[in-house]
Amino acid sequence: MTAAVRVKRKTSLRTRRQIFIGILYILPSFVLMMTFNVIPIFLSAFYSFTKYNMAAPPEWIGLENYARLFSNRVLTESLSNTVQYVLITVPAQTVLSLLIAVFIAEHMKGRYGSLMRSVIFIPVIVSLIASATVWNIMYQPKGGLINQLLEFFGAQPVNFLGKKASALPSVAVVAIWKSTGYYMVIYYAGVMNVPSDVREAAIVDGATPVQRFFHITLPILRPITYMIVTLGIIGSFQVFDLVYKMTGGGPGRSTYTVAYVIYTFAFQDKNYGYASAVAICLLIVILLIHLIQTLLFKEKDA
Amino acid sequence: MKKKTFSPWVAAGVLLITLFAVLCLLPLIYMVAVSFTDSESLYIKVSDLRPSLYNYWYAIVKRDFGTALKNSVITVVGSCLLVDIVASMAAYGFEKKPIPGKETLFQGYLATMMIPGQVVLIPMFVMINRAGLTNTYAALILPMVGAFGIFLMRQFMVAVPNELLEAAEMDGCGEARRFVTIVLPLVQPALITLTIFTFNAAWNNFLWPLIINTRSEMRVLPVTMSTLSSNSTTNYGMVMAGATLTFLFPFVLYIFLQKQFVEGIALGGVKG
Repeated sequence: MTAAVRVKRKTSLRTRRQIFIGILYILPSFVLMMTFNVIPIFLSAFYSFTKYNMAAPPEWIGLENYARLFSNRVLTESLSNTVQYVLITVPAQTVLSLLIAVFIAEHMKGRYGSLMRSVIFIPVIVSLIASATVWNIMYQPKGGLINQLLEFFGAQPVNFLGKKASALPSVAVVAIWKSTGYYMVIYYAGVMNVPSDVREAAIVDGATPVQRFFHITLPILRPITYMIVTLGIIGSFQVFDLVYKMTGGGPGRSTYTVAYVIYTFAFQDKNYGYASAVAICLLIVILLIHLIQTLLFKEKDA
Repeated sequence: MKKKTFSPWVAAGVLLITLFAVLCLLPLIYMVAVSFTDSESLYIKVSDLRPSLYNYWYAIVKRDFGTALKNSVITVVGSCLLVDIVASMAAYGFEKKPIPGKETLFQGYLATMMIPGQVVLIPMFVMINRAGLTNTYAALILPMVGAFGIFLMRQFMVAVPNELLEAAEMDGCGEARRFVTIVLPLVQPALITLTIFTFNAAWNNFLWPLIINTRSEMRVLPVTMSTLSSNSTTNYGMVMAGATLTFLFPFVLYIFLQKQFVEGIALGGVKG
């Protein structure tokens, strides 16, 4: 009896020691995650109800920031621009990366295919600011590479970033250029995970490549597509670097995006409360999109 | 068996993919080419190309790219070290230690990945200001720890056999020594992947360094890059030299560690 009790106490002492050591392992991450990822969310929500310029303590003004936001057009305009931007980039980069990955996996298994994959990935590692700089120069109305090509084919030069209609799509092109390789790598890994006997069975059954794509490959890749679309929407919704460097929100307010508006309200106007209200709106929109997407995908799976 | 029938569709596909690959490279080839010219206009002829590093010298010496390069390297090295240490410790704690409520906490960590960066930006800015840490390397390095690294490392911690750790404990190998000499070597591939990810994130980070380190001697490469205007009155060669410098370091890393780059992304993607 006493021996058994002693053994039990010993193990529980050991377990307690293990718990203590475990907490020590997690502690640094806990402190940093709380400080930079969790507490700021609540602080943002708090600031959004205040008038705050950092010189004086935050002054509680209730829903005034939100009322102001919904009464002027900046928020709706920037939201609409951001949604347009998402609607250009996400479908384009998703479809492109899917088609390229599937085609390379099925028809370009050799050295050349792997070279193509390496090359298509390279834009991923270019920083957004460097990308924006290079594309800015390529978009130049006078002598930019793209306009030189247009002139060569006898077309009129286009002021891509200077026209309201073309500015946002021109920025989106850079994003698509930069991210297709990233998603292609994820899709490629997914296609390679498809058991080869599944595909071979389909070939034996006489399925055409198009049938195989729509009835086998695409359904198998569904979870990956879900993830890529989610990542794409979240990433595109936060577009900042490209807009900052390429258009500065212009011409007019045609490329004002939500992230850019937050930046200008906070760090140019020093209106931290008002900017926080925009940030909270962004958070709500992203959570809503996530919720809708989860519901849609769950329903189809059932 | 291996013999393939020629299909015009496949040939067209190969051609299209080749074309897309060329489009991916073209802006970068253009960037490097312009960085070696001394033309005032953009109508560059082949005869304008100079094998001279003048534009690079100008960017580094006259436009503070040297300072920015130094700041970026310090920030990146510090970020990689911090993230590697904190993430592998946390992952080990989550996977191998019997902490009550750890799965709930882990789910909480993962949930933070959904939060857009702009939502935490202003409070972070206020905190760093209050702490007097603006214009320091710490301000750039400390926020680099995130849930992704911990998630990634935990995927690999699962494969560390418990028997091995128990056997080492029997042999009198202490807690810290077990972690450093047994666990870390076993998860080395994941550490390399995480280092690459952190390198890229820290190297390309723009908005946060832009607002928090405003003194010119504390700027990192993308911020210095952004101060060079790219309008028609600019010296394009120098701007492109700056862009090439910014691109060069990640590119060299990619050349040497291509497999880890791609596998890391695929892993994070397929499993997440």
